[in-house]
Amino acid sequence: MTDRFLAVGKSLHRKDAWDKTTGKALYTADIPIENLRVGMIVRSPHHYARILEIDKNQSQEIPGVLAVLSSDDIPGAKVFGSLIPDQPSLAIDVVRHIGEPVVLIIAETKQAAQEAADQIKISYQPLGAVFDPIQAAREDAPRLHPDGNVITALNINDGDIEKGFKEADHILEDTYSLPRIHPGYMELETSLAIWGENQTITVWVSSQHPFTDQDFIAAALDLPVENVRVKLGVIGGAFGGKEDSSLSILAALGAWAIKGAVRLVNTRRESFVAHPKRHPAQIHYKLGARSDGTFTALKAEVHMDTGAYASYGPAVAMILTETLAGSYRIPNVQVESYVVYTNSPLSGAMRGFGSPQSHFAVESMVDSMAEELGMDPVQIRRANILKVGEKMFTGVTLNETANALPICLDQAQEIMDRFRAVEVSPGKKAGVGMALAAQSMGLGANVPDDSSHRLEWAPDGRVLIHLGSPDLGQGLAMAVEQITAEALDLPYSQVESLPLDTLDRPNGNVTCASRMTYMAGNALIDASEKLIQDLLTHAGEILEVPAKKLIYKDGQIIKEDGSKLPVVEFLGRLAEKSITLTSESTFSFPYPEETTPQDLPIGMPHVLYCFGAQVARVEVDPDLGTVEVTHFAAIHDVGKVISQSGVEGQIEGGVATGLGYALYETMLRKDDQWVDSFTEYLLPTSKDLPTHYENIILEIPEASGPYGAKGIGEIPLVPTAPAVANAVHDAAGVRVTELPISPERVLGL
Amino acid sequence: MQEFNYHRPVTIAELKEFLSQPGARILAGGTDIVPRMRQGKFSASILVDTSGVKAMRFIEDQGSEIVLGALTTHQETADSALLQNINPALVTAAESIGCQQTRCRGTLGGNIANASPAADTLPPLLVFDATLLLQNKEGERWIPIEKFLLGPGKTDLREGEFIHSISFKPMIGSWGAAFIKVGKRSGMAISVANAAVAVELNDKGKISDIRIALGSVAPTVIRCRKIEQALLGKEPEMALMKEIHDASQEEISPITDIRSTEEYRDHAAVVIIHRALENAVEQAKERGR
Amino acid sequence: MKEITVSFLLNGKRTSVTSLPNRTLLDVLREDLGLTGAKDACGGEGECGACTVIMNGNSVNSCLVFIGQIEGTQITTIEGLMDKGEFHRLQKAFVEAGAVQCGFCTPGVILTAKALLDNDPHPTDQEIREGLSGNLCRCTGYNKMIDAIHLAEQGGLHD
Repeated sequence: MTDRFLAVGKSLHRKDAWDKTTGKALYTADIPIENLRVGMIVRSPHHYARILEIDKNQSQEIPGVLAVLSSDDIPGAKVFGSLIPDQPSLAIDVVRHIGEPVVLIIAETKQAAQEAADQIKISYQPLGAVFDPIQAAREDAPRLHPDGNVITALNINDGDIEKGFKEADHILEDTYSLPRIHPGYMELETSLAIWGENQTITVWVSSQHPFTDQDFIAAALDLPVENVRVKLGVIGGAFGGKEDSSLSILAALGAWAIKGAVRLVNTRRESFVAHPKRHPAQIHYKLGARSDGTFTALKAEVHMDTGAYASYGPAVAMILTETLAGSYRIPNVQVESYVVYTNSPLSGAMRGFGSPQSHFAVESMVDSMAEELGMDPVQIRRANILKVGEKMFTGVTLNETANALPICLDQAQEIMDRFRAVEVSPGKKAGVGMALAAQSMGLGANVPDDSSHRLEWAPDGRVLIHLGSPDLGQGLAMAVEQITAEALDLPYSQVESLPLDTLDRPNGNVTCASRMTYMAGNALIDASEKLIQDLLTHAGEILEVPAKKLIYKDGQIIKEDGSKLPVVEFLGRLAEKSITLTSESTFSFPYPEETTPQDLPIGMPHVLYCFGAQVARVEVDPDLGTVEVTHFAAIHDVGKVISQSGVEGQIEGGVATGLGYALYETMLRKDDQWVDSFTEYLLPTSKDLPTHYENIILEIPEASGPYGAKGIGEIPLVPTAPAVANAVHDAAGVRVTELPISPERVLGL
Repeated sequence: MQEFNYHRPVTIAELKEFLSQPGARILAGGTDIVPRMRQGKFSASILVDTSGVKAMRFIEDQGSEIVLGALTTHQETADSALLQNINPALVTAAESIGCQQTRCRGTLGGNIANASPAADTLPPLLVFDATLLLQNKEGERWIPIEKFLLGPGKTDLREGEFIHSISFKPMIGSWGAAFIKVGKRSGMAISVANAAVAVELNDKGKISDIRIALGSVAPTVIRCRKIEQALLGKEPEMALMKEIHDASQEEISPITDIRSTEEYRDHAAVVIIHRALENAVEQAKERGR
Repeated sequence: MKEITVSFLLNGKRTSVTSLPNRTLLDVLREDLGLTGAKDACGGEGECGACTVIMNGNSVNSCLVFIGQIEGTQITTIEGLMDKGEFHRLQKAFVEAGAVQCGFCTPGVILTAKALLDNDPHPTDQEIREGLSGNLCRCTGYNKMIDAIHLAEQGGLHD
């Protein structure tokens, strides 16, 4: 490996892009299957109710209806959950949110399924529902689960909070409200299950965690895990929202019940009410600072609404909590975070995983404090950003990549000056705002986090990556192909990722937490080295020379005398002897004992951080309160760019999602119904995004990363909303503390 | 999706015949009806598809009147040089509806018949006192658009009737007509408030004729005659916000719903009337030269 | 409910389909004709553009077109864009510009772009943003799509 990169750092064509432009790419809903039966889920019409009776008799009699299933019919585990197994596949005695699955109908036709759904008699006794996590946390609230409504209560302290506030010359406090957000992937949740011979089943999923799906399906059907084979269709986006196995389990259940093939596809309405969302949160934030701008104390209280079931609530709370002090040195901190059940739809994993919520609070408050102190927003941040070797309040020491922080601020300063000089449109008020971000990588300390992948050198010279984790559409396959090509000194065109199939695939773990390029990249660099060693060993045997007298370079074996032989020749010879050259490697996310605090709950802390900053220029219509983001810049340190177009794409898409969070998106409940369509849930269209956009990509090498690379999957949407809120404040003097920043909120109407 | 029998007439005579059957409803562009049928909010036992009735797609200058066929699409309206000259507010409104995919399908007649309180083509038609020609198998009748709109989603359209065309008289002299819309986002924006203002200035530069129509502030799109009265005879250079505001209080009744609040709509209505007026006055002065 | 038969040109070929009339063009493409390039991402409300096809030169949401309405029309789906095995310049441009991530919106966006360029061969950025505003994408932020469309535009006359 040299400084001159062959494949890494370049903008190359994604191999899967061609089929996506022609309609050939098969998403799970597109896969043609013979004898496919129709599945339909009957869902709860109530927010909270006891199920008194489910009378299936009439439904089961309808011609064409093959199965009418309730929880009683599930042969194995009736509940699942990655952190807390509290989520019923089909409701048990109680429904806890509108849209909760109660009965699964399998039929020969849509009409028969619909008739069965219309005829089924489910009687409910509605109970008083609760939707506010602060209310639900109280003793007198309706008890939604046997052990109470508060599933997580974190209390993290550092220093002496009272002393910290005494040292402050200025103390500000405010409450920030974060809404319920749909991950917004275009491909709806889909699963296709086909019952096989000898008690086996094959299930196609659109999922971030196919091996977890495999485990949950096996448990639900009371089958050995080896009998469940999970495959991936092309995935049309996930953004955290496809770490929920409910549809996979139900499709499998349906296929098991009829010993046939069943495909379930959620409608967009079902996706809204029955699949996990970003946690709404109320964050009460109190910051103390000296007159010179240095922060002395932070006290925060967080209430997160995890909805009817836990999903990833406790883990989201951890990252939210850990990032509440942002990228800053705050010597005295006290944070109480509560994750609370309510009768709202589930909240779970979504890109950012608590950090967008926390950063809206911290980055808004830092600007408010700057204003209070008469300081420039960049200046106050400079006075407080953590340096290499310093500790976050969780006790995590920041490594050299923290050098990104002052560079981010320098870049932000330059951009803010430029944006401020832009001519203001007539009748509008212009403002510029910025925000910093720190996003963690990895699943958290003491949470098993291994990622295994395999390489195979095919006889024709192609290297096949048996990737153990899904590409969600973001280009993971391309990134690992570039890394592998680099490590093997081969052209990118000669390396290819294979679609995931649990039957013959090592477990790469869930694609999430901004870490898969890092994990898979590291594993594949190691596997590449093993593969080369293996190749040289075999080549040595064939050439009857010691392996250490051979060199591999550029797809060729080089002998001591300088003569070169193409690798393909050796692969051919090995194939004749039925020897396939493969290597497998497992990378474990590093939590060095010496620097990882051990006094926190399992899953905390996260020890590796990505840093970035964003700058927004807005024009506010002072009479209508409408906000237009005219100019935007994203500054992100990625350690090392693996794929130039891939990194840009992640950042640009993330910024768009962040702008949706800032300005347009909220899943409200009105007249007892949840917003459940794109008519009222507004994603940003091409017309709603800035026409002037800049990417500044920094490369401060992460020593533990593949070629120095870090993650980029989540951070691009973390500083966006506070950057916009700060710009709106700069433009119109209004501090909006509740997202989205609607015209009504800007005008206070 | 509900069940229906389907007919596709190619002549107006066939259309009248099919529509006269009980339970028959018209399908034009489908952009409103198809989703509503899917949601069970619209029903028809017979669906009469007008996409083949070319005779109802036209924009004609008939001298004293402009006549638009009910099946004129929003894209055709937006592209019409004739309409840009005669009713620029309608052009602006048509351009603002939906997106490329829906503008070439959605029709003027459909937008009117759907009668959303937020419909964008209605304010520009109301300020031109547009009339509808309604036909059925038995005959036809004329009705001013204002009388046709009865409530949210409710019109005076009777069984077997369809909108054939929409007509209005051009304004003369120093006139201008503008349309402004406020939505929650720029793309595919449903109006939170929308307004059309048509104004005529006399030779002293004062407002000699003014028509104001507002959407999203009442059960139907409405003409705001009280505000019109308050502005008649005034000099447009005077900041007229107070007059507009005070008169609007007697006239509009916005609500709080999933999209916006009563207070915001109340406030926004005044702002957009004022801005549309400014725009219309500027046009009037141009035409007056 | 009586079935109807419609005849139309599908990707240049004369095609005839018999169906219950309450099915949309999207249903028929995906379920009867095996053309799964057009997608449903919004539940048939015309809010996402993933089902976009070109009908008589206009980009339309196929989820909003009842099957009877395509009688006598010319329909182009994404599957019909390649020409004798050669990628259309828009397809090449989208791959080249990095405008394809998960790809779910891609067929709809490419067809919308084709209809746009066929009408207006040299659109400005703003006109492109206007043209794409009916196609939702959660992955890309649209910037690279705009690049792709300009790249395709430089290819010369439209097809």
